[in-house]
Amino acid sequence: MDIDVSPLILNWQFILTGLGFTISLSLLSIILGAAIGIFGGVARTYGGPLLDTIVGVYVDLVRSIPVLAILVWTYFAFPLVIGESLTPFTGGVLALGVHLGAYITETIRAGLTSVRPGQMRAALALGMSRTQAIRTIILPQAVIRMLPPLGSLIVIAVKDSAIASVIAVPELLRQSQVLAGKTFRPFEIYTSAMLIYFLICYPTARMIDRIYRNLAPLGAS
Amino acid sequence: MSIRTETPTRPRIGSDAAPILSFDNVCKRYGSLDALAGVTFQVNRGEVVCLIGPSGSGKSTLLRCANALESIDSGRVLMDGRDVHDRRTDARNLRRRMGMVFQNFELFPHLTVLRNVAVGPTTVLRMPAAGAAARAMELLRKVGLGDKAAQYPAALSGGQQQRVAIARALAMQPDVMLFDEPTSALDPETIGEVLSVMKRLADEGMTMVVVTHEMDFAKRVGNWIVVFDHGKVVEQGPPRQVFEEPTIQRTRDFLSHLGWHGESLAASDLLVPAPSGSYEHRTSD
Repeated sequence: MDIDVSPLILNWQFILTGLGFTISLSLLSIILGAAIGIFGGVARTYGGPLLDTIVGVYVDLVRSIPVLAILVWTYFAFPLVIGESLTPFTGGVLALGVHLGAYITETIRAGLTSVRPGQMRAALALGMSRTQAIRTIILPQAVIRMLPPLGSLIVIAVKDSAIASVIAVPELLRQSQVLAGKTFRPFEIYTSAMLIYFLICYPTARMIDRIYRNLAPLGAS
Repeated sequence: MSIRTETPTRPRIGSDAAPILSFDNVCKRYGSLDALAGVTFQVNRGEVVCLIGPSGSGKSTLLRCANALESIDSGRVLMDGRDVHDRRTDARNLRRRMGMVFQNFELFPHLTVLRNVAVGPTTVLRMPAAGAAARAMELLRKVGLGDKAAQYPAALSGGQQQRVAIARALAMQPDVMLFDEPTSALDPETIGEVLSVMKRLADEGMTMVVVTHEMDFAKRVGNWIVVFDHGKVVEQGPPRQVFEEPTIQRTRDFLSHLGWHGESLAASDLLVPAPSGSYEHRTSD
């Protein structure tokens, strides 16, 4: 097998565009997932039985459906519900964010319940409202404690962004497919794509590990 | 050496004015357990009221009912004439007037020592950060920990953490301080530093309710002793009466179980320096 990297060199801008979409798709779905997850985790822990049940149904639904099915449904079926078509990118962000949100919800909930009740009492005794206590005292500790699982979820979110290629978001894998089809050089192109994913995900995981090691003592009440 | 002849207990003060905190027949049940079965006593402004009694007798529960961290089933808790457990009462407003110190310190581990003390004023009183930091620094110096301001709580000893916790409560400028077994989780060698901070606070006229097993502290610093057993107040009175002439057998049993015999006072001088000239064996001071 001869190796010819010229298609990569000639089409570097095409691949770079894909990388740009992978990063922006990942970041936006992580932001959406984190927002859902923080709200969901707090709602399940402190929101009373009704909110707990509602959020619980969302979590169970999402965790029982393949992310690919959620993505396809969001892009092809959801527009019929709202009467408005979505761009592939918007559909991708929504689907991946909603999917990730369920897992972050459960992680945040585990973190919140692990902070001992005395911390809440101490915050309330100072005169804080429950909202103030959760925001300034309990949630920061919960997030610090849960950094390792949250880090895994973030890395998984970056990898899952590749699934958006099926709805033609021009992200890294999709661009690679297009390029491989045009140049008949699948080995060089797909290998490079794998390498690029690794170069994003591995340092991210190590960085989060490192942040955790520095912060861990601050989450231990 | 006779203790009975010269007892340095403080007189009950301000009893003619309305009490700042009063408990009126307070009852609380956990399932079939009567945690509090009709507790009645008062705390006057400027007094140090010590709650003593066996573990599980309801002292800590009562403290939590005082600032509405726990609900009550019947009875009333009045803070400055206002019903703490009334639905119309703003519990947060009352809580910030009652500083609370916990057995396990409950410092916030993700905040520096300075931020631990300043976080109340900044979040609850909406005080500007600089002003809150200045107040926090002043209080940290007062409890002898000005040099620890930038540290995180985990780097401090138990006694130091508890002194930070006292500073944190004082930062809200409370009218009453509630202490829930503040020295029970401490190494013996750090108990003294916490008790002496508390004593200084009492000397400055702070109103204090102290749940404690430190009988020396209760006797020397307390104006009024309330003895709990099985969720009830079995005896209350000035320290002299409770410690030396307990009228109730249960109090006698509890005190002797703790090894309290009048003569043991001498050893306790290590913990809290007695007011000079208060004790016959200290008159050489």
